[in-house]
Amino acid sequence: MSTYGLQKMIRDVNRDPQLRERYFCSPEALFQRYDMTADERRAVLERDFGALYRLGVHGLLLRPFSILHQVSEPDYLKAIRQEK
Amino acid sequence: MPISYACAFSHAPGILAWSEAAPAAQRGNLHAGIEVLRRRLDDADLDALILFTSEHWTNFFLDHVSPFCVGRSESYEGPVEPWLKLAKTRVPGHPALARELLAECYANDVEPGFAHEMQFDHGTMIPLHFLVPDMRLPVVPIMVNTLAAPQPSARRCMTLGRIVGDYARRSGMRLGIVATGGMSHDPGEVNHGIIDQAFDRRFLEQMRDGRLDQLAGYSTDDLAAAGAGAIELLSWIALAGALQRYRGEVVAYEAVFPWATGMGLMSMTPEVV
Repeated sequence: MSTYGLQKMIRDVNRDPQLRERYFCSPEALFQRYDMTADERRAVLERDFGALYRLGVHGLLLRPFSILHQVSEPDYLKAIRQEK
Repeated sequence: MPISYACAFSHAPGILAWSEAAPAAQRGNLHAGIEVLRRRLDDADLDALILFTSEHWTNFFLDHVSPFCVGRSESYEGPVEPWLKLAKTRVPGHPALARELLAECYANDVEPGFAHEMQFDHGTMIPLHFLVPDMRLPVVPIMVNTLAAPQPSARRCMTLGRIVGDYARRSGMRLGIVATGGMSHDPGEVNHGIIDQAFDRRFLEQMRDGRLDQLAGYSTDDLAAAGAGAIELLSWIALAGALQRYRGEVVAYEAVFPWATGMGLMSMTPEVV
């Protein structure tokens, strides 16, 4: 799966409290540990959950990740459904 | 000896984490059904429980995916989710039974992965919490990959079930089998919140009547059309394969929109094959 590095980072942030803290301090600092494309990095930095979904992040990784960013369920669904 | 107990149990986390969001009538019906399943399990006086189950990126990730994984641990901790409103507990495992099941599978040309360490998420803890609240029974989890394509086929799950069932019948142990997952739901995906009730009712009928050919004929796409989470019904299909001949009873079905899941509960009375 081409989104392997991206999904791995998201899964690690979801699961590991220490890594999560580092991610919220500076996402860029984490990027060197994961093989990610420029588009993937941009989507993470911009907290663009719709783009992350369309890049192929699994819903059961992305929804918990969005909850860490205080995104409500309606807002999450709007983002992944490309609704305004 | 026939398999001593069998049931199927949907595991939407809402049943614990945001239970009150569901209408009281639906909750009442589901909990009455759960009570039937729990009482029958008590009456069966089991030695151990085999679970056909699935997980939600708790143990396994894309670094190594196997179609099936048999737990060989002395015990399992769960749930991993702090928000589930279920205290973390330790569930006893049954490594000797797991070893026997693996040997039986490999002798019959089906080769599951195995793991000496595994945690349980809501998918396994919810049925266990309601069926065995005191966690007295040792369990062997058989995880089915329902997350990353390609998933095992329904036919393959039924074959795995058949092998497990054949072993259970001649094990000399009083074994129960629980299948968990489903029914229609699309967690975290674009159709989150949609429940295909027609799909669920058709699937329940096929399970109730033991139509093994129809159940084995589901493709992953057929299941995924009812939502990504409906792929978890592979566990139910494995259970039907284990039992082969049985009387099925739908003890409760509710399309619970606040939990975004079609909740199915079935009891199966195995017959001698």
